Amino acid sequence: MNSDSFVKTEDLTRIYSSGTIEVVALRNVSLSLDQGQFFGVTGASGSGKSTLMNLLAGLDRPSSGSIKVEGRLISELDKDELALYRRHQVGMIFQSFNLVSSYSALENVAFPLLFAGVAKKERNKLAEQMLEKVGLYPRKDHRPFELSGGEQQRTAIARALINQPKILLADEPTGNLDSITSRQIVQILSDLNKKQGLTVIMISHEESLLDEFADDVIHLQDGKVVQEERIR
Amino acid sequence: MRISDYIEQSFSNLWKKKLRTLLTIFGVMIGIGALVSMFSFGQGIQDNITNTFNELQLFNYVSVYPRSENNHAIPSSEHPGVPEQAGPYSQILDDEFIRDITETEGVESAFPEVRFPAMIRFNDEEKFSLVQVLPADVCQSGLMKLRAGRPYAPADSNALIISDSLLRRMKVKEPQTVIGQKIVISTLTVDLSLSNIPNIVSFLMGKGLPFSRQSYQFTIVGITEKMGFVGPMPVRSDVFIKPAESDDMKKLSLTSIWDLFQSSQQAKGYSMVNIKLSSTKYIEHVKDKMEDRGFRTFALIDHLEEMKTGFMFMNMFLFAVGMIAITVAALGIINTMVMSILERYKEIGIMKAVGASDGDVKKIFLFESGAIGFLGGVLGLALGWLVSMIINQVVNYFMVKQGAPYMDYFSFRWWLVSGAIVFSILISLAAGIYPTMRAARVDPVVALRHD
Repeated sequence: MNSDSFVKTEDLTRIYSSGTIEVVALRNVSLSLDQGQFFGVTGASGSGKSTLMNLLAGLDRPSSGSIKVEGRLISELDKDELALYRRHQVGMIFQSFNLVSSYSALENVAFPLLFAGVAKKERNKLAEQMLEKVGLYPRKDHRPFELSGGEQQRTAIARALINQPKILLADEPTGNLDSITSRQIVQILSDLNKKQGLTVIMISHEESLLDEFADDVIHLQDGKVVQEERIR
Repeated sequence: MRISDYIEQSFSNLWKKKLRTLLTIFGVMIGIGALVSMFSFGQGIQDNITNTFNELQLFNYVSVYPRSENNHAIPSSEHPGVPEQAGPYSQILDDEFIRDITETEGVESAFPEVRFPAMIRFNDEEKFSLVQVLPADVCQSGLMKLRAGRPYAPADSNALIISDSLLRRMKVKEPQTVIGQKIVISTLTVDLSLSNIPNIVSFLMGKGLPFSRQSYQFTIVGITEKMGFVGPMPVRSDVFIKPAESDDMKKLSLTSIWDLFQSSQQAKGYSMVNIKLSSTKYIEHVKDKMEDRGFRTFALIDHLEEMKTGFMFMNMFLFAVGMIAITVAALGIINTMVMSILERYKEIGIMKAVGASDGDVKKIFLFESGAIGFLGGVLGLALGWLVSMIINQVVNYFMVKQGAPYMDYFSFRWWLVSGAIVFSILISLAAGIYPTMRAARVDPVVALRHD
């Protein structure tokens, strides 16, 4: 395992406790990713994929083990440092898009800039540029419910990229999309990975998509890595 | 996040739930409106009293009474108007005393309190009143608030000043119009002349008193405004005439039954002398001097602190009443904010996922609470002002009808206006603390999975 990896986890374990019952969601997962890699994670439901994603995103903390991003120990950061990490280092997209329903596409894309302290005029300008890139500029004033699934996911991608993160975490981004749209979305991620050197970590049930686009794929089962594949 | 963004976000989020926001703001508005009108009422009453006292320079007066050592009815300084224990006079308040005191440093003028009972007749209406004898110079010194006409001058003969409240009681609708008209004062006098034989006979048979009426005609030169409160004021009657006219009138100078118990020698003295000082700084000096000479004194300024304490208690009571409404409004804010957080549970998760810190989330919701407080405060102030104005007009309509002067019963000071808005915001922020903490504690992992 490369010691100066871009993203590195060591014995990552996450146990959820509910009263006396303990559920091990992730058990001793050690991973190593290089910058600019398209990394795929697959596995059945409940295998720990989303838990791994939340830990890498800094939304959750491991019960034991460590996460390092660019040599920085993410698992040891306090709440405010984690917020800054999420704001500047990572962008996230989700299966259910997670757009704010009362906001327009433009406002959703500009949302992360609000917390980064960017002025409104500048926020809107950057968000328009980002929507232009994902081909949604004409729909900038539409609310999420007025957009198709693919358009919503493209809006979410624009939002994830607005703060120019180094890692894009995609949690089942095609789960709610038809096969053609799914392919289009993953193609966008792949382009970002190839053309801009963005590190992409994508969870998917669809192994065919991972086989087509990912450099490496791991299989999780009951919170453990059961298979590692180097595709290219 | 920038302050301008917090403000914009809060107003825009509140606008998305218009009805709920408006209802919550109404709650705050009513609370602040109640508090503001209560406070302005307390302040209005306080202002009216202190302003009138200052305007009429009542704080510059010291009243002097003979010490309570005889059987004469003497008002005590603590309870003016209430007779004290009996005993002989040690000093007499007479004209010589007045001449003497006028020469004391700081004394502008001194005049005795002379009042006698009389029937006042005007346009076929007759009312009983106490006529106060007031020297022309005192009358001209601004001690009386005149609504119409002028104070009488030493050269005026048979001039009279009457209060608008007495005129109203005598069914005069527009008191100003009576200036220059004639009015009759009838006094009672002991009459043992032949023309009063029937009364004398009745008296001797123990069935009546040997009194007869004497009538004197006066010209109304001024209409005075009756003060909205009573007390040991230097001027406290409905009818005023000069000493020269009073001296020529036959009358029983009794203001109470206690006067009948005076011996003829003691009757020489006045029951009270009012001393007007050029400044309040001479009060203590004059009081000490009078007390050394064996008199009792009363100065309104000594009671200023008591009055202030009284006002403070009144304000505290009014504040407590207003606070009930504010507490209800605060509960409304808590409810609204908790509802808002439950509804925006997922949004909070998204905020955190895109980089909002717990502090950012807290501030977003605190600004929303503050915005409710600000809007509620401004509208509450407007409501309080409106309600106060309406009450003021209604109360004055009835009070003026009964002869009381027009008064502003409510006073809106700058500190009340700004204080109400600041207080409203602070209360709203306090009400927002719990919901805000709740919002900050939202686990983004759970919230993002929430539908």
